Amino acid sequence: MSFDISIKIAGQAGQGIQSIAEILLKVLKLNGLHVFAYQDYMSRVRGGHNFMQVRISDSPVYSIKEDCNILVALDTNSVDVHRNEVPKGGAIIYDPHSTMVDSPDNRFIPIPMNNLAKEAGSPVLSNTISAGSILALLDIDKMDAEEFIKKQFAKKGEEVIGKNLKALAKGYAYFLENFRNWKFTDIKAQKKNKTILINGSEAVGFGAIAGGCQFIAAYPMSPSTGVFTYITGKAKEFNIISEQAEDEIAAINMALGASFAGARAMTTTSGGGLSLMAEGLSLAGVMEAPVVVVNAQRPGPATGLATRTGQEDLEYVLHIGHGEFPRFIFAPGHHEEAFFTTIHAFNLSDKYQVPAFILIDQYFADTYATEKEFDLNKVKAISYQPSVVSTPYLRYKITKDGVSPRAYPMQGDFTFIADSHEHTENGHITEDGEVRNKMVEKRFRKLKGMQKEFGKPTYYGDKLVPSGSEKGKAKTVFITWGSNYGVVRETVDCLKKQKRSVAMLHFNRIYPFPRKEAVSLLKGAKEIITVENNYQGQFGNILKAETGIEADRKILKYDGRPFTVEYILKRI
Amino acid sequence: MENTNPFHYEGELSWCPGCGDFQILKSVEKTLTSLNKKPSEVVLVSGIGQAAKLPHYIHANGFNGLHGRALPPAFGIKAFNRDLTVLVTTGDGDCYGEGGNHLIHAIRRNIDITVIVHNNQVYGLTKGQASPTSEVGMVTKTQPYGVVSLPFNPIAFAIAMDTPFVARSYSKEIDFTAELIRQGVETKGFALIDILQPCVSFNKINTYQWYSQRVYKLDNTYDPTNRVKAFEKSLEWGDKIPIGVIYRSQRQTYDETLDRLGIKPQINPAHNLIQRGSSQGVMCGVNTLPDLSKVKSLLSEF
Repeated sequence: MSFDISIKIAGQAGQGIQSIAEILLKVLKLNGLHVFAYQDYMSRVRGGHNFMQVRISDSPVYSIKEDCNILVALDTNSVDVHRNEVPKGGAIIYDPHSTMVDSPDNRFIPIPMNNLAKEAGSPVLSNTISAGSILALLDIDKMDAEEFIKKQFAKKGEEVIGKNLKALAKGYAYFLENFRNWKFTDIKAQKKNKTILINGSEAVGFGAIAGGCQFIAAYPMSPSTGVFTYITGKAKEFNIISEQAEDEIAAINMALGASFAGARAMTTTSGGGLSLMAEGLSLAGVMEAPVVVVNAQRPGPATGLATRTGQEDLEYVLHIGHGEFPRFIFAPGHHEEAFFTTIHAFNLSDKYQVPAFILIDQYFADTYATEKEFDLNKVKAISYQPSVVSTPYLRYKITKDGVSPRAYPMQGDFTFIADSHEHTENGHITEDGEVRNKMVEKRFRKLKGMQKEFGKPTYYGDKLVPSGSEKGKAKTVFITWGSNYGVVRETVDCLKKQKRSVAMLHFNRIYPFPRKEAVSLLKGAKEIITVENNYQGQFGNILKAETGIEADRKILKYDGRPFTVEYILKRI
Repeated sequence: MENTNPFHYEGELSWCPGCGDFQILKSVEKTLTSLNKKPSEVVLVSGIGQAAKLPHYIHANGFNGLHGRALPPAFGIKAFNRDLTVLVTTGDGDCYGEGGNHLIHAIRRNIDITVIVHNNQVYGLTKGQASPTSEVGMVTKTQPYGVVSLPFNPIAFAIAMDTPFVARSYSKEIDFTAELIRQGVETKGFALIDILQPCVSFNKINTYQWYSQRVYKLDNTYDPTNRVKAFEKSLEWGDKIPIGVIYRSQRQTYDETLDRLGIKPQINPAHNLIQRGSSQGVMCGVNTLPDLSKVKSLLSEF
């Protein structure tokens, strides 16, 4: 029997929501189950109200649900906020000694987590107690959890491992002893499934390493910090120079210096940090310096909602930097796509000597999902350094495809200048109108090649038929980009079960815009609905500008929270 | 007579006649010639301003970036290719104004570069507004009632930051300046050389005459390794202005930090020469691709 259950772990910042979720997610993954988890948190280190949603299924899951089958409430407030999201037959786990519950019904499962933790050796073990009880409730063998704990606490020594194992066993046993008859659902381990459990930040960071990143400079800012942290954690192992810059202006300019010297360079930022990088990005444009820029979006303007999600920077990234210059913009839809897109971004930025943007958002960065193991042979880092350059070396040689040979200092006996001014073929300042025209045209000639590269939109849903015939083609097409891939895909699945003729068209590469593909894939659609996390329907506007196609309807959300299938269904 | 200096640039220079920049250019050229380096092994990095044009007037590699942003790319260049000799040519507006924040942090990192500040105490490129080092009371079109903000003291600041090499010069002293730059380049770590330079078009206060009457060279009795004395010296300004090495110290450079971390240089022509069969351009390869087996091992962590 197939199953699809949701768990919400709620409490204050600092109460250990993440510790509980971590054990749970790893163990579920080891059992071959598919999980999808999203953290909703406030911009504070202690207190407030945060929660983690974990969805578990025997088939792949791509989004979160509004309601949950199991609530783990770590404080009284969490019970009050979420109790109505748990339907009859669901479970609410809480500690009766620390959490006040008005009129508990048969959904409530009191577990004295603090007392059990003290018995196991320390009150800090209460998270492991909770994890033990949840696993018992889900009827999942605790052996994998034991293995995980041994690995997780290996550095902390035998004593810590021992205490945690004891706590896990206590939480597990307490549930079985007191709620043995509580039958929840048939969760069956799928041990044959080999998956990885990865979050969006890690997927991009891992992609950067696989793409040959050699230099990263960034300034910490939520929700982009995770990518920077992941890469920095591997810097020593992969010989990557990682520097925390004094500000985002420095970060982008450091990356451009490294790029000039021959590095595969990148930076990561969000919101305000991206604004600070605007001039540096313009410099990358005129210097034709490869650089990968990861922008993890959050709602603005200004500080906006610092720890929440949005897709408000699309039109900004399309134009960021004064003057005109070509660029790549990618907005991957899921973690596997993000991994490969990042490798492509490094390769393409190098090949065309243009900045490549990767747009993610808080929802995407912080979401954990199980995915099938990435096939590392599918995309590889490719370097486009020239093997020979002419004498004298012309860094900005006018070429047919717009791409000039890019060499680095000390690769040979030549010298060259990279300049922020308009320049001649050898990089020197010029104000000559004719040279200027030739340079602008050379830079934009790259677009022809760029247009043919990686990043075609993904069509999901009713099968496509050869053009000319409309039979079998979806009547309603949802258009989306970036992190909304999963939720729209599940919306399509849901509507198809209702015999509706629907499909999704998801855009990863947004610039150069895949115009031909968009036009051909949307041909014959009766209704086009855009789904975006912003107020203006920015992608819809770009679609209209690029193709003349206008969406019939826009489903927009800008409250800083991600879409759910329920939310979309209510609006169609 | 033909100029045999490999760093010499033959071409038009766009500074005003009489500008101190010509003298600094000569000093930089002299220094580079004395270093036993090839032009291909040198990068001049600049931002925007009259001083920032200098990389165009030297035959070497150049990175002429954004206003105030010479130091961050210089960091990126030097960190990635430690064999390069990196000099920054910047001005008082570029380095102490627009890019002031970067100066603090570049010194903290102690990246091994030499920063030459053409300090003319005025904005030249934008035609005569006050700069961070303009004297109080100086009247300009944007300070019509006179400058009210205190001038920035780069020497005192650099000493406070424990900069490995802090010097001041005067542009007219071409050989003296060249020698200071040479010492700066040879210093392991960050070197700041503030060069007083008359602006013949816009600074009618700090003229050649004004400087020539005031500057004096520090002699052997002065000990630049004494930080407190150096700080005292840095406050000397007015009737007498000291030039020379004002402060010297030693601390771990960014290169050494990378070495300690085991981050290896990624371009090393001596060890990584890939002959690609052309007499025209023998190119050195750069290790740009990651070790796939190591990348694969990361998968097991997820």
